[in-house]
Amino acid sequence: MSAPRWRTVAAHAAAIAAFLGLWETAMRAEWLSPAFFGQPSGIVAFLWDGFIGGRKLWKELGYTVVGTLASFVLGSVAALALGLAFVMFPKIERALDPYLTVLNAMPRLALAPLFLLWFGLGLGSKIAVGTSLSFFIVLANTVAGIRGVSQDLVTLSRSLGATPRQVFFKVTLPSAVPVIFSGLRLALIYSMLGVVGAELIAAEHGLGQQLAYLQATFNMNGVMALLVLLAMLGMVVTQGMTRLERAMLRWQ
Amino acid sequence: MSAVASAGLAAVARTAPAAIEIERLSVRFGDVLAVDDVSLDVADGEFVSVVGPSGCGKTTVLNMLTGLGPVHAGRISLLGRTPAAGNPEVAYMLARDCLLPWRTALDNACYGMEVRGVPPAERTARARELLARVGLKDFEARWPKELSHGMRQRCALARTFCLDAPVLLMDEPFGALDAQTKLQLEDLLLELWSARRRTVVFITHDLAEAVALSDRVVVMSARPGRIVADVTIPLERPRQVRALQKDRHFLELYAHVWEELERGLGASAEAVS
Repeated sequence: MSAPRWRTVAAHAAAIAAFLGLWETAMRAEWLSPAFFGQPSGIVAFLWDGFIGGRKLWKELGYTVVGTLASFVLGSVAALALGLAFVMFPKIERALDPYLTVLNAMPRLALAPLFLLWFGLGLGSKIAVGTSLSFFIVLANTVAGIRGVSQDLVTLSRSLGATPRQVFFKVTLPSAVPVIFSGLRLALIYSMLGVVGAELIAAEHGLGQQLAYLQATFNMNGVMALLVLLAMLGMVVTQGMTRLERAMLRWQ
Repeated sequence: MSAVASAGLAAVARTAPAAIEIERLSVRFGDVLAVDDVSLDVADGEFVSVVGPSGCGKTTVLNMLTGLGPVHAGRISLLGRTPAAGNPEVAYMLARDCLLPWRTALDNACYGMEVRGVPPAERTARARELLARVGLKDFEARWPKELSHGMRQRCALARTFCLDAPVLLMDEPFGALDAQTKLQLEDLLLELWSARRRTVVFITHDLAEAVALSDRVVVMSARPGRIVADVTIPLERPRQVRALQKDRHFLELYAHVWEELERGLGASAEAVS
């Protein structure tokens, strides 16, 4: 790590420490009520109990992560397949477009009550909500990516004698990868949003379900702890995708 | 003069058979007549430039030769056949380098051969050789984004010459380069071309470039594109494009082509009014 980078990290650490210190002091001195804001020491204690003292949070975290990944994979694969079909057979796109537009315009969390009835309180309903979000994002990006291929490259390939199949696999698809990738990154975040949202509404397990329970029982340290945890989870997920993207798209 | 008679005269005038024969070609785009009654023969191994104002149909003629567009009237023959897209006897080069950004210079040089089914070992060897000849030996593993404009166009030249096609169709290949780089690449093109003479049709709007490179310069008028002059360039080969810039004979030919071009522009302006 270079010297300026060190300094930045140190500055951030100092700012965060000051903020946490102020927060803790405000609660201990009872300037504000800990019942509404929790306090850093309590949050740390809650996380310690959940992950190291007991093992309970690992399980809840596991449910949310599995639901998120399943939603992401299901939605992305289905969207990639449909996106390719759209480009190969524009008639399908013209036929489905109005319905997809309506579905996509609907706030997907509103579907959660319905999915809960259909798929139960377990993972199934969470995956259904998550998939309904990730699917549309990847679909839009797949189609846009494939449409955005440079016509110059296609013309050159055709004049070189490339078959339509070669043009697709050697030019169109690789040129769409960056756009599809940014869709995938977004889809992962939205999968998590869908899963946690559905867990908040009704579930047996998962971080969202825990969050709802802790809020209902006025455990503010627990609520704050889970919010921190969710933020971290989101960070890990995006960072992972960015790393993967960089490794795969070195030519950009 | 009938088409048959003029083709006969062309055959007598040159010893080599015509590689490209265009007879009374007309092309329309909707209501617009883009190319009007163009006839042109190019002998085997001949370097012919087509110059003219922008929008005169130069590129349209070239596209017809690649087989990418429909012919509305007239006949085109390329090595005795009607042009078809992907003809292995034709290599094509554009002003945009059209390098695939996700391929290294080496893989880009291989691309044409890959599409045409050349075995991997052979195409890598050829691409390496050509990249070395265009001065990109040390840049084989670079991505296009890491190369300068000139280097990218050198890579496109390597891709074109890797195909070893008897006919080269070039559409303003150096049109987007700065003057210095352009002169370098013109010399490089002549060097590659003289090593094994192919038939070249070279589209450009740069008259100096046309005169310096070609055996013949064909001048087209503004739309609808007609051929208004066909000037033979008797400069000795091998030529050095940079040295030619100060050559008296070159400058005379250049002035002559300029006059023909202006006459062509004037003629079509009268036709419009």
